[in-house]
Amino acid sequence: MKKIALFFLVFLFLLTPGIAEAESGRELIENSASFNDKQVTLQGEVIGVMIRGDSALVNLFDNGVAIGVWCRAEDARKISVIGDYRHVGDTVLVIGTFHMACPEHGGDLDIHADNFTVTAIGRELDRSTSLSLLTLSVTFVASAIFVVFFLRRIRKEKEKIVPWPFQ
Amino acid sequence: MILPLEREDLKVIGYNLRNICYLVAALLFLPIAVAVVCGEFDTVPYFLIGSAIGIILGCILSFSLYTKREMELKHAIVMAALAWLIAPLLASIPIWLANATASYIDASFESISGFTGTGLTLAVDIDHLPHSINFLRHFLQFAGDGIGIIVISLSILGRTEMGSVLAFKGEAKEIGIRPSIVRTSRIIIGIAVTFLVIGTVLFTAAGIREGLDFGTSVFDGLNHSMTAYATGGFSTHSQSLLYYQSIWFEVVAMVLMIMGALNFNLHYAVLGGKRREILKNIEVRLLLFGLVTSGLLISTNLLFANMYPTTEALFRKGVFHAVSAQTTTGFQTVYPFHFMLMWPVFSMVLLSIAMIIGGCANSTSGGIKMVRIGVLLKSLGREIKRALLPRSAVMTGTFHNIDDIPLTDKIVRSAALMAMSYLILFSVGAVITAAYGYSLEDSMFETASALGNVGLSCGITSPSMPAGLKVMYMFLMWAGRLEIIAVLVLFGFVIFGLRKGVRR
Repeated sequence: MKKIALFFLVFLFLLTPGIAEAESGRELIENSASFNDKQVTLQGEVIGVMIRGDSALVNLFDNGVAIGVWCRAEDARKISVIGDYRHVGDTVLVIGTFHMACPEHGGDLDIHADNFTVTAIGRELDRSTSLSLLTLSVTFVASAIFVVFFLRRIRKEKEKIVPWPFQ
Repeated sequence: MILPLEREDLKVIGYNLRNICYLVAALLFLPIAVAVVCGEFDTVPYFLIGSAIGIILGCILSFSLYTKREMELKHAIVMAALAWLIAPLLASIPIWLANATASYIDASFESISGFTGTGLTLAVDIDHLPHSINFLRHFLQFAGDGIGIIVISLSILGRTEMGSVLAFKGEAKEIGIRPSIVRTSRIIIGIAVTFLVIGTVLFTAAGIREGLDFGTSVFDGLNHSMTAYATGGFSTHSQSLLYYQSIWFEVVAMVLMIMGALNFNLHYAVLGGKRREILKNIEVRLLLFGLVTSGLLISTNLLFANMYPTTEALFRKGVFHAVSAQTTTGFQTVYPFHFMLMWPVFSMVLLSIAMIIGGCANSTSGGIKMVRIGVLLKSLGREIKRALLPRSAVMTGTFHNIDDIPLTDKIVRSAALMAMSYLILFSVGAVITAAYGYSLEDSMFETASALGNVGLSCGITSPSMPAGLKVMYMFLMWAGRLEIIAVLVLFGFVIFGLRKGVRR
């Protein structure tokens, strides 16, 4: 009997995931009412950090939407890369309470983090200039200069007045 | 009798459009400076290509359509209407090349939304856009709606002939700050730049206070200052001002939005020492009444709907969005989806009404405009009085807008005509949106936002919206910016030309 009970407990343990599966940012926004005041898990890229005293506002970007997460300032200081055009920000996993209209923060939608973990460090993106685009831009600029001077020349030849730009 | 169209008419219009092409080409050099400062050298070719195309098009117009004939009113109005199409189409080139939008039509939408100061956006992943492209989006609102492209071109070119004056009016600006149109243009730019500097300093201070680093505070401050004064509503973040979760940002934005929604003439009068004008002006009175009423009603409605838990929250959501809608700015601290699904219908309708009415005439805001609402209300009061008084009584009336202006039938007719055209266009837009399967209140909200050049969105505007709606909203933004009449004149011009042909 003990063996059966033990087997049953082990089976249950194996079925239970280590951490709750993260909700997507879009899911949280679109079903805010059903998540209100409940514990949620959100994983996303850091796109903004604002440290305010002992706490910090970290904006996480996931699945096309960004959500503000309030955490301890010391947690926010663990973030090393903030996402922007040239960087992929750190990936952070947050477990916390979701507020559709936070009473503490002026009715804004946010998550108050109980657990804040940096799961992946961000990186710099390669944003080198595309050679084909550079060639195209040089061609266009050269064409513009050519057209300006060509038309000026025709103007002189035909004695027509083609005004110079901004005259 | 309308004279038949001549080839020379088309030449006058086309030839005068060259300056707009040159202007956009020049404006695209500013984001290049931002790209260089921010080390985004890979984005420089986008702007160079856009600028070069502007110069080439300008040169071609200048050469092929050269004429010495002066602009008349019809030319000026059609030229202004076309200028507000050509400028966004040129400025959309860098946005498209940078893949900031999913397609060229989306880039055009973004650019028209920028130039007209609307703020509805189809940009993909705003939080990861290059600084230079983000700056361009905001700068388009400042240059296009905050100042006006024809105002800028007049100011730079210094042209004083009658055609310039007419083009100025075609851009929906009838300002008589100074007798000289060039001087007036420069004063408008001066007022805009003053508020830009003040706004940037205030937003930067708010950013530093709220924990942003200095560089981000300045960049975000500059951009939000441009769009707040221009009552544009673009933001450097996909969450708009919700990104900061800060009352300081919201207060600074509200002050700038209200300043932007006030008449340029009023700014000039107050700066010139006529401080009592603020209390006497019909537009200011109505604007304040509108802001207080809509702010209170929306906050009360949100209170009864149990949407927000504290008084601060009710103020920050109710009053902030009332100011954003009434001034036709479009900053929001609520996700668009929440407007659609969670906000009470009454609040949505109030916001829609505020967007339809808009701010003051000759300001950066859109909508029917306060002065027209004032004229119509005064006229209504006069009609009621007329019915009560004996037939022999002579009715006169005035309203105060910088000067005491007699309430003539011509003024009333003009205001009524504009309001009627506006409401017809709004109704058609709302019905078409609803035909795509959206609810009527959401359709009304989004249409009011597009036509009033507001930018508040309940989620209909997105890259995945039907292409037909994108085109219709582009048309509404354009028509709303030109206050409809210029668009109708352009249509009349085209239809007349097609029916009767163009004489050589």
